Amino acid sequence: MSATTRQRLERALEGARFVESRDGMPTLEVEREQLIATLRKLRDEAGFTSLTFVTAIDRYPKEPRLTVHHQLLSIEHCDRVRLQTELPGEDERLPSCRELFPGASFMERECFDMFGIQFDGHGDLRRLLMPPGYLHHPLRKDFPHHGIEPDRLYREWDRDRRQASECAP
Amino acid sequence: MGSLKPADEAMDAGFLATRVDALINWGRKNSLWPMPLGLSCCGIELMAMIGPKFDISRFGAEAARFSPRQADLLIVAGTLTWKMAHAARTIYDQMPEPKWVIAMGVCSSSGGMYDSYAVVQGVDSILPVDVYVPGCPPRPDAVIDAILKLQKRIERESPLKDILSGPDEVDERGSGQLTYQPNRAVERTAGDLHPHDPRASREDGA
Repeated sequence: MSATTRQRLERALEGARFVESRDGMPTLEVEREQLIATLRKLRDEAGFTSLTFVTAIDRYPKEPRLTVHHQLLSIEHCDRVRLQTELPGEDERLPSCRELFPGASFMERECFDMFGIQFDGHGDLRRLLMPPGYLHHPLRKDFPHHGIEPDRLYREWDRDRRQASECAP
Repeated sequence: MGSLKPADEAMDAGFLATRVDALINWGRKNSLWPMPLGLSCCGIELMAMIGPKFDISRFGAEAARFSPRQADLLIVAGTLTWKMAHAARTIYDQMPEPKWVIAMGVCSSSGGMYDSYAVVQGVDSILPVDVYVPGCPPRPDAVIDAILKLQKRIERESPLKDILSGPDEVDERGSGQLTYQPNRAVERTAGDLHPHDPRASREDGA
């Protein structure tokens, strides 16, 4: 971590909690309640104008189970920062940062689809990769490899189709 | 002309005596119009097969139609996901009779390496498949061989009987009546292929 990046971060955020990261990227631990305020400060005061990705890690059966990562890029200073927010297993809610970074919309949808994290205030939290009507979140560690009734939606479609053709004159 | 060979005594008389079945089959087998359902990398090999280098027009099957209404051979080329399954079944249902299906590549034959929640473990769980082609992806020659094998099969069909006997019973093959079976063969071989796989140690009782 270069000294200037850290200085800039410390200037923008009072009492920022840095954690170790294996790849050397400056990583901050943020409470769920402070996430939006932190992101806003990083965007407006530290020059991190681009949200590169939002993703999550499931550490089942450890608690807290889910960690959400927001990674930001400063095009001006050519450096990156990562925020990690821990969520307990029963209460997977996080405020959406769609207002700050419109590009977060799809990444939060994917994160919801794969991990079941509810982004409050997103407004359009539909599934992105899995079909609508799918019940599970496949990247959770307790999701079985072969899935749970992977053919359910097809069978339901098939049944409806047959019933419709039986009713037709 | 193969099965359409006229009787020797009719040769000079300027007409042809044959069976209706043989005539219909001859027409059907030499004008298979494929509907390419290119779902992944197999689709690229399929394009090579239709193109001039491998050239399936030599076997009368070059008229690839991108409308199921004008096709009678569905080539499922690639990984079929459950999200795509109803689209594939709709395409099959829209094709006019008679129709045949080739499962091209291991993904459409058995799910292949995608032993996962997202992938249909063989398109034969939703469609009646006539010929399976192994390979990942198969070479164009292998698919041409599948078309030739299908032509041999069509030669043995008896279309006149089917026409005279009226509409068939509903064909239940692949129409959602088979139950889903995860690919157990993969679990059995996992220990040999990947000694670090947790499923392997579980089978050893370790």
